[in-house]
Amino acid sequence: MAGEKVLSLRGLTVDFATPDGWVQAVRGVDLDVARGETVALVGESGSGKSQTMMAIMGLLASNGRAGGSALYRGQEMIGLPERRLNRIRGEKITMIFQEPMTSLDPLYRIGRQIAEPILHHRGGSRAAARQRVLELLELVGIPQPERRIDSYPHELSGGQRQRVMIAMALANDPDILIADEPTTALDVTIQAQILTLLAELQEKIGMAIVFITHDLGIVRRLADRVYVMKTGEVVEQGETGPLFAAPTHPYTRMLLEAEPTGRKAPPNPEAPRLLSGRDIGVHFSLGRSWGGEEALLKAVDGVSVTLRRKQTIGIVGESGSGKSTLGRALLRLLPASGSLEFKNQDISHADRARMRPLRRQLQLVFQDPFGSLSPRMTVGQVITEGLIVHEKDLSKSERDRRAIAAMREVGLDPAMRNRYPHEFSGGQRQRIAIARALILKPEVMVLDEPTSALDRSVQKQIVDLLRDLQEAHDLSYIFISHDLAVVRAMADYIIVMRHGQIVEEGPAEEIFEAPRAAYTQALLAAAVDNRRFRTAVQEAAK
Amino acid sequence: MTEHVLSEQVEEPASLGAGRSLWQDAWLRLRSNRAAVASALVLLLLALAGFIGPWLVPHSYDQIYPQYVRVPASLEAYPKQDRIVPDFQSALERARITIGDVELSGSVVRAPVSDDEPLDPRITRYVDRSDLFDNARLQDADGNPLAEGASSGFMVADVQRLRFLFGTDANGRDLLARILIGIRISLAIGLLASFMALALGVTYGAIAGYFGGRIDNVMMRVVDVLYSLPFIFFVILLVVFFGRSFVLIFIAIGFTEWLDMARIVRGQTLTIKRQEYVQAAEAMGVSSAGILKRHVIPNTLGPVVVFVTLLVPKAILLESLLSFLGLGVQEPLTSLGLLIAEGASNMRGAAWLLLYPAVTLTVILFALNFLGDGLRDALDPKDR
Repeated sequence: MAGEKVLSLRGLTVDFATPDGWVQAVRGVDLDVARGETVALVGESGSGKSQTMMAIMGLLASNGRAGGSALYRGQEMIGLPERRLNRIRGEKITMIFQEPMTSLDPLYRIGRQIAEPILHHRGGSRAAARQRVLELLELVGIPQPERRIDSYPHELSGGQRQRVMIAMALANDPDILIADEPTTALDVTIQAQILTLLAELQEKIGMAIVFITHDLGIVRRLADRVYVMKTGEVVEQGETGPLFAAPTHPYTRMLLEAEPTGRKAPPNPEAPRLLSGRDIGVHFSLGRSWGGEEALLKAVDGVSVTLRRKQTIGIVGESGSGKSTLGRALLRLLPASGSLEFKNQDISHADRARMRPLRRQLQLVFQDPFGSLSPRMTVGQVITEGLIVHEKDLSKSERDRRAIAAMREVGLDPAMRNRYPHEFSGGQRQRIAIARALILKPEVMVLDEPTSALDRSVQKQIVDLLRDLQEAHDLSYIFISHDLAVVRAMADYIIVMRHGQIVEEGPAEEIFEAPRAAYTQALLAAAVDNRRFRTAVQEAAK
Repeated sequence: MTEHVLSEQVEEPASLGAGRSLWQDAWLRLRSNRAAVASALVLLLLALAGFIGPWLVPHSYDQIYPQYVRVPASLEAYPKQDRIVPDFQSALERARITIGDVELSGSVVRAPVSDDEPLDPRITRYVDRSDLFDNARLQDADGNPLAEGASSGFMVADVQRLRFLFGTDANGRDLLARILIGIRISLAIGLLASFMALALGVTYGAIAGYFGGRIDNVMMRVVDVLYSLPFIFFVILLVVFFGRSFVLIFIAIGFTEWLDMARIVRGQTLTIKRQEYVQAAEAMGVSSAGILKRHVIPNTLGPVVVFVTLLVPKAILLESLLSFLGLGVQEPLTSLGLLIAEGASNMRGAAWLLLYPAVTLTVILFALNFLGDGLRDALDPKDR
């Protein structure tokens, strides 16, 4: 390891007080960061990678406590009084967060928010600070900084907000920049831009970057050294190249191989059509100006889809492309124009009562396994709710039996059905959500980003589960995702959407091997860029 | 038979994996909050005092002791020691007989009496007439009833010892008994009015919020109109039409307080409606009633419970205000507000009349507010 150490952790621990006693989140982490290098902290959710850095910054939740030692240039940070800590954090060690939507204060112009740390740590006049802010905005590549400096956060896109966050973090020429999943909430094309920006900035300014992420593609592109964390401990560390080429710890190997694999064969072309929509449009009113025209947001604009039995249609697009809206419109959960047919039955104008018997055949699984289960119901109640509606005369014990069967099918222990959703992990919750849909024996399932909120290894399990279920029950899926790797493993037909319209559609192989539209090509390029090495590594491992 | 076998299969894993619900979590957090637990205990004690206290106190809340008007609070029994002898003497003097030294032993007064003529047994009435003495009788030296025609003996009477721990009010009624009955009435009105506000507000707010659109608009405009009615004016109107009664008060308070509740629940419902579990239920074809009952209302209950604990003291205060203004409960029944009103008018001469009810009300309100705070922290730990 070359260069002087700027940060060195020895035996760092983090504990949280819970009603059941202290829970250890970080169990003795040793970590060094040298000047100007990029260190990645990799691990799945709950591995303690974020809490390690939060402990250094003194940002633990009120029931948390940190132990061990964290030296910044010889200065102990753990247990440092807040006033002295403030001289280091925000000036010498700064942080950017995952969620650019919420880490900026919506009430202040961005110029003022960036100037605040400058004025606080350096003093000086407002005019000088403003000059510095303009430089910073220029540096992070915000177009027209003179105009943007007076914008409010909501006027910027997600990528631009993350750039503003980076500008804030760089305001005082920090030694260390801690980036906590800075690109996870962004679309792939924006992600690539932000990562490139960070790499460029490091070259120019020379600060060290501590990168907290679960995405190994990013690690490969950016990091000099990697620490792999699992349940609060560092299980493996080393230079990026050698570590990825020859991982020694099984957990690292598992992370590297956790990409969903396999392809789905297209269904029999003669298979009956189940659900088809023609010229579907969903428009939201943005309000009407006085005496003027009504402003419309065309979330979905003239889209046609045909789903056959046992087919999986992948709908791909970045945020705001209308893919989720289309999924809901196909289930008639949103008022939409155009015509909709289910099993040769026109349901374009079916009302709630007429849709009700069809609902059991048309199911929906959501992205967020934390939000889609009612927190006040037990898992058993959640899973059997559909039965109460659609098979009213089932006895209680019969319902329970069905719940047990459904839970077994999705790989959950039926003994856990009296627990509450918050006691389950993300992957388990997603299994619960699938069981809830499955218990009704549906024919069509719309899967709205069912794997996006999950860790890679769990994603793989869920994808395998969904594929097995499709085989076993002849299900047809509409699979909505922005994650091309997952879509590729799931779908036999792809629809690429942008701004509410179809950019390109066709069999999966065709789209992935020979994309015609420029947008599809860009999308694939951005994703593959992050991923190319991984196949190479896997190849090398064989 | 099969039913039985099935349920047995079911029982076993159920006991294995009983989970901890959010309510149980909240309960654990609440239990570790000392202020809240102490407040809950205080409230429990006060509620018990209000409920069974009036039976344990020797005085009834409406019994009047004309000779003990506005006596100060004291641990000593009335009449005071130094008043018994002179009162006994002055009562006997009216009988125009010769009196010796009055002696007091325990709750019995005794004085040698003699006259030129034989003692008329009717002279005991002079003593009985005083409220302090009871069961006056003439005895000889050995304690036997005095023989007829005797001209000297002893006049003996029992002293009625009364304790007024909190003193008495301007009409000579025991303040302790009145405060206990006041606690009962105030708590009952607070709870009933809050319950009414809860039932009305939650139903109304959840329906308005869930259905949204035009229904929401109409329903919430109705709330706005009701909001614009001045509370006191509304109560006076009710009192004029229906007369003063206990039921009317909590109806009046409940009817004005449910508006806040409806708005809170509607706001909560609007955010819950967009949660994915509600959408999931919709996608499953669950009816609106089912979604409201199973998903929306249980998930609004956290903030609602907190609001209710803060609503109870508010209702108690409103009742106090109404009683203070003379629109509340009617004499001789009383409430803490009414007692405070009476205390306020007697403040100069008899400060205890104001002090004790006011302290009681303050303790109740403090405890309720602490409990409400504790509940909020327990139910919504993220907001701390």
